[in-house]
Amino acid sequence: MHARELVSAAPGANAFVRIKDMELFAQQFTNGLAVGGVYALIALGYTMVYGVLKLINFAHSDLFTLGAYLGLTLITSWLFSGLGPLWGTALLALMVMGMIALMGALLDRVAYRPLRESPRLSAVVSALGASIFLQNAIMLIYGARNQVYPQNILPRMALSAFGFHIPLSRLLVLCASLAMMGALYFFIQKTRIGTAIRAAAIDQGAARLMGIDVNRVILMVFMIGPAMGGAAGLLVGLYYGQINFTMGWAYGSKAFTAAILGGIGNIPGAMVGGLLLGIIESLAAAYVSLAYKDAIAFLVLILILVLRPTGLLGERVAEKV
Amino acid sequence: MKKSVFLLLSICFAASAVLAAGPVKIGLMGPITGSWASEGQEMKQVLDVLVEELNAGGGVNGLKVQVMTEDDGGDPRTAALAAQRLATMDVTAVIGTYGSAITEATQNIYNETKIIQIVNGSTAIRLTEKGLKYFFRTCPRDDEQAKVAAGAIGKLGVKKLAILHDNSTYAKGLADETRGVLANEKGVEIVFFDSLTPKEQDYTTILTKMKAANPDFVFFTGYYGEAGLLLKQKREMGWDVSFMGGDATNNPDLVKAAGTDAATGFYFTSAPLPKDLPSKEAVEFVASFAKKYGNPPGSIYSVLAGDGFRVLTYAIAQTKTTDPDKLASYLYTELKDFPALSGKISFNEKGDRIGEVYKVYKINSEGEFILQP
Repeated sequence: MHARELVSAAPGANAFVRIKDMELFAQQFTNGLAVGGVYALIALGYTMVYGVLKLINFAHSDLFTLGAYLGLTLITSWLFSGLGPLWGTALLALMVMGMIALMGALLDRVAYRPLRESPRLSAVVSALGASIFLQNAIMLIYGARNQVYPQNILPRMALSAFGFHIPLSRLLVLCASLAMMGALYFFIQKTRIGTAIRAAAIDQGAARLMGIDVNRVILMVFMIGPAMGGAAGLLVGLYYGQINFTMGWAYGSKAFTAAILGGIGNIPGAMVGGLLLGIIESLAAAYVSLAYKDAIAFLVLILILVLRPTGLLGERVAEKV
Repeated sequence: MKKSVFLLLSICFAASAVLAAGPVKIGLMGPITGSWASEGQEMKQVLDVLVEELNAGGGVNGLKVQVMTEDDGGDPRTAALAAQRLATMDVTAVIGTYGSAITEATQNIYNETKIIQIVNGSTAIRLTEKGLKYFFRTCPRDDEQAKVAAGAIGKLGVKKLAILHDNSTYAKGLADETRGVLANEKGVEIVFFDSLTPKEQDYTTILTKMKAANPDFVFFTGYYGEAGLLLKQKREMGWDVSFMGGDATNNPDLVKAAGTDAATGFYFTSAPLPKDLPSKEAVEFVASFAKKYGNPPGSIYSVLAGDGFRVLTYAIAQTKTTDPDKLASYLYTELKDFPALSGKISFNEKGDRIGEVYKVYKINSEGEFILQP
């Protein structure tokens, strides 16, 4: 805004202003896209669990944090000293995802499975308790101070074209999150387990009658969702470099919002919701107000929910019932 | 039966009489958990060192001193509960806490229960403008800091300034004050004034917007975590502009988060760092702290909590009482130039510390904090 005022003060600079504005818009759009990718990855965990169990897994945001911390532990261990950046990062991602998947399964076994037959509220309370437990466990193990990833893992180059500037690592973050989402979408749509998960989300009783082991489906959901969340944690750690045991809250609340925006329980919805929320936030900050960007993002959420109570892609949920 | 009840009761009374002559209880309210946990945990470490030394030397007035720690979680609601718990523990005074908004939630609780509160990190101006009778602080106020910051900005020859805060009581206060001071000075134009959301990690949107306003200097009044990320992301954007921070950016973790390259050239205003404290007391204290924990204290605020403790126990020893009214009046009127770790301490009639405390620091290419002349 200020740039416009400043530049347009010069006579005959209108064309220049327009290019400058386009650049700014594109820059802010990609900024939002990268953040949105992370929201989407985390949102998947919320939405998958909700789809099958109608439970909001509040501890999911702390599994995301744990992913970031485990990544840090692994990356600074001897294991990764000899590997190149590409293979090292790939192996690292697999290990973190695997470990967080196990944590997710453990969480389900300890905190949710004993309450499967209880009223839903008990499970929600258990989720909150698990969240507090995990967050403080991380603080006790790793300490309360911010932890910092080694700085030289992702390439620090930037791509510049048409005065447009994007760090390469930012593109990598975006590509990684899109690739993971694509893989998950394929898995859910095309494989037998994916079909079983979708069936259990539509109607658990009927799925059971069709010979689907619902407990196994739930276990899978509690492994895949957290694995995505853990990968998001690792991405955040690698890209932003600074992690803190409380960071799950900020990301978790946004990702949860994204899941609702896209239609909770709907997997493509979480992806769309996450990307959209990131973009809305970024553009709201750029063109309206930094201080009110969250307020604007939530206003958009409310509007969408008023117009489409099931969320953007929630239609299919309605069809199921 | 009756006799035994009577006996039991009398034992209780006797025990309580003994307890009344027992240790001097001083509360510590700090963010032991939550986002500022590193500050709170170090506050506790500092007090542990000091109370150990004090008790080894016989305590105050022949009584041992006992520190009761309560966690405020860096959160106003938790803090109000912590304050209520401390108030029921029969403490003479409370040291802490760090964040201004957190302190504000507890001020009235302590005032009503006549407990002296000496805060170590809450620099928001309005805390001492309420006319509270038992409230002191060992840290300076934001208007003091704003003057030093504005002075430094003027001295660096800044023409177009961007000010960024994080909407916390402290950061917004400092940002507003600085804007106010600069409004009276010609030559510095404020081209950007807005806030970020703490704990988010992606500040590229904000940086992109700020860059479009084309400032030649940025003053960020928030905390070190966000400052580190801002510096790092600014560098990745290829934006070459100098940043300055307020005293909440004074933490070695900033350099770790930003990377030494991106942190080089960053200015900040702060009370002197523990390592730059010149007094004999401070050097000895830093040494004994390092001996116990393996590293010197990293934050000046934990040292200021230690100063609160030292000034308080000194006052108790001088007045030979734990009566809050007598102690408060001693601190307001009689205490002059107490040799604290962070320099000399006297309080004015509001409970604010007198004297200039703030200095300007700059980060050099090694990532060290260098005191600017």
